[in-house]
Amino acid sequence: MNRMKPLNKKARLIEAAPGAESMDKVVAMSANVAGCSTTFDPGWELDPFLGVAGLCQPMEADLYGCSDPCWWPAQVPDTLHSYPGWNEGNDDAARDWRALQSVFPK
Amino acid sequence: MSMKKSKSASALKLGAIFLALYATGAIAAKDYLVTASRPNLVFVADAKERKVIKTHTIPNTSMGNSPITLVPSRDGKVAYVIHNRWESISGIDLDSGKEVFRAELSEGDIRGKAPFAMDLSPDGKELAVFVNPTRLLPGEYQVQDPYIAVYSTTGGVNAKPVRKLPTTRRVATLAYSTKGDTLYAYGWEMLKLDPQSGEVKGMHPWRSWQRDNRGEPDTLPIWPQWEQSKVFATPFYVASTDKPAGDPASLRAGIWTLDLEKDVVNYKEFENASVVLFSSVVNPVRRNEVYTVYTQLTRTDMESGKMDRVDLDHTYYNVNVSSDGEELYIGGTQGDIAVHDSRSLKKIGNIRTPNGADQVLTSLRVFTR
Repeated sequence: MNRMKPLNKKARLIEAAPGAESMDKVVAMSANVAGCSTTFDPGWELDPFLGVAGLCQPMEADLYGCSDPCWWPAQVPDTLHSYPGWNEGNDDAARDWRALQSVFPK
Repeated sequence: MSMKKSKSASALKLGAIFLALYATGAIAAKDYLVTASRPNLVFVADAKERKVIKTHTIPNTSMGNSPITLVPSRDGKVAYVIHNRWESISGIDLDSGKEVFRAELSEGDIRGKAPFAMDLSPDGKELAVFVNPTRLLPGEYQVQDPYIAVYSTTGGVNAKPVRKLPTTRRVATLAYSTKGDTLYAYGWEMLKLDPQSGEVKGMHPWRSWQRDNRGEPDTLPIWPQWEQSKVFATPFYVASTDKPAGDPASLRAGIWTLDLEKDVVNYKEFENASVVLFSSVVNPVRRNEVYTVYTQLTRTDMESGKMDRVDLDHTYYNVNVSSDGEELYIGGTQGDIAVHDSRSLKKIGNIRTPNGADQVLTSLRVFTR
């Protein structure tokens, strides 16, 4: 390791990364949306009681409540950042869901 | 006189007549609902008439996302709303529909987003907004420290913060005390901030809330709806650490309240968690009653813990209450506001959004004029 030297800015940042004593400052953010990278909710498969009766009814009631705040970025496109036009023009999810298409990374 | 000026003059005369009648008591003050719907609408409904009376368009916004937090001024003249993929705040005059205030949170290589927390000072002069900024660089995103932007509501359509207050991360609710001398910031804890300096004056514990045989409570406080009772209320879940996993009593549900006038916290655990609970409102008349919604409407007596519950037509996110405490307005998610009787909990009315579009995560607020 002593023979390895950082050559660029990113590598120098890795070398200067916080030590283990700082790691306890990093904690999961439960149940609050702060952007896609801090969202850990698993999605529509299970409700909080590990069943399905507590899921939104119908699922269309919750569809844009999940895409628009990036709540479940693995299941629905992230309209806050990456796919801002995914549901454009389809403002009534229960009526318009057929018009919603899959998205693919560019 | 042009047609436009003539119409304006007539509207002014009508307004003057209305105000004169209102001042003499000939017209009783009425409750109005104000909320938003996709992709860019702010609308006002006459609560008792179950009718939308004003529909306004938020200009220059994202058409593929939805408006979120909405805060009306106490006089019901202007509604402030976070929109444009959480990067803009607009103040919409609720009579004319004109955009009278606008603040952009992103500038240059900084992308600023306001995830929900926003409130207006009781005197209507300042708007406080929680902002998460990120510096967008070619090879990386640098997360910046969050702040509370405080705007003067007279800042116009190119408003800049008059102050930026330091804050912790994860603030989901901002709420002014009724006197305006405290700005509550609800995140890890319910912090009590000096609205001028941001200095932490004290707190009500949340994450550090210690009770025997209880774990860390969890809540989702992103729906401001305390204007009728002046009491902030949110449902919560908490683990019973003395119960084995799988025991129905191992996860409890309750309501946590903060009186914004008296600075007093109250809570009541009322059941083993059995349904999802999203947001709550306190009855301004029968003040022991709290109503909570999601796919069910639940009424909880904060003194006895007695609970009543009915199924709703579909899932809703938010609930508000009439000034006389008799009617509940239940909105968010899809394109309708359900009206329920607060005593029987039965559905007694429905108001469709102007375009039938979903309300999604916006706020459902009540003002009286």
